[in-house]
Amino acid sequence: MPQWVKEDMGATSLALDCDAELMLRVREGDGASFALLLEKYRVSVAHFLYRMVQDQPVAEELAQEVFLRVYKSRESYEPTAKFTTWLYRIATHLALNWLRDEKNERSQERLDEVAEDGPVREVADRAPTVEHQMVRQVKLEEVRKAVAALPDKQRAAVLMHKYEEMDYSQIAKVLSCSESAVKSLLFRAYETLRVRLAHMA
Amino acid sequence: MNCPIKTQENREWLLEYSAGRLDGERAAMVERHVEICPACARFVEGQRVVWNALGQWESPELSADFNRRLYQKIDQAQPSTWLGRFLQPLWRPMVPVAAMCLLIVAGVVLHTPTAGVSPVHPRVENVEPEQVERTLDDLQMLRELSLTPQETNASQPM
Repeated sequence: MPQWVKEDMGATSLALDCDAELMLRVREGDGASFALLLEKYRVSVAHFLYRMVQDQPVAEELAQEVFLRVYKSRESYEPTAKFTTWLYRIATHLALNWLRDEKNERSQERLDEVAEDGPVREVADRAPTVEHQMVRQVKLEEVRKAVAALPDKQRAAVLMHKYEEMDYSQIAKVLSCSESAVKSLLFRAYETLRVRLAHMA
Repeated sequence: MNCPIKTQENREWLLEYSAGRLDGERAAMVERHVEICPACARFVEGQRVVWNALGQWESPELSADFNRRLYQKIDQAQPSTWLGRFLQPLWRPMVPVAAMCLLIVAGVVLHTPTAGVSPVHPRVENVEPEQVERTLDDLQMLRELSLTPQETNASQPM
């Protein structure tokens, strides 16, 4: 077995021990262990959700829902997988659901607008106008839009790969799919991003 | 090393190499290949642009009251009735034990043999006529004693 695989497995089992042990203590009613897990993961979970939904108040609400569900599920928690896999599975599930509902709502709004106003209007962009932004802000806006344009699962895979530094097997577990499916998701997503962001070289 | 793009073998190595996450030995293999393969060189260049662009995207900081709001929600989610609190995780393992004890006690009470203990049954005793007569006299006497003089006079027949 290659050394890098062994190191990876070692790191995984170590993390499993530490976080899963804390979660098992939460199951026994230890509030301090829950506070530790919250402190350790709240920022990364909230950032992941922000990049998924691209709306800060919504991302915070979803992040709170993630930890609320962790707390509520403490009695049924079994350390069968890495704690972060379980945590991000909850987060991804909530984000994908929110995106689906948001899309439905938007499409309904568009239908309503067609019915009321006749011609289809463009949906207002929540981002500030690019004319008044600095170059960096323009670039960030382009990155945000490029990521937002990705299909939801591709987006989740890219965010977990890039920002959470998850390996393919963990992303596969979070998204409940095979490792090869994750590789395909990532290759398609990065291909789209390479085309859209090529001018930023 | 075969071309990952043409053969689809170890394609992920190109991604990891572009991100700087590939270990030394494999990174050296990819590097040697990229030097002689224009397609892979273009891939790596484009991927590095994406990687750097994504790296500039920072998330806003969390609200200062994030934890307070969360704990408030947790408190609200707690059961408010005494029964709900009783069924909290710390007590829940004891509920089956308590139920078992209750069953045992009920079983013992219901199946305890009653021999030796005389059952109490209401019974009608025989009452002698003289006894009844004497009791009525006593009652009459008590009634007279409890009356005031005026009442005594009033109660006497004219």
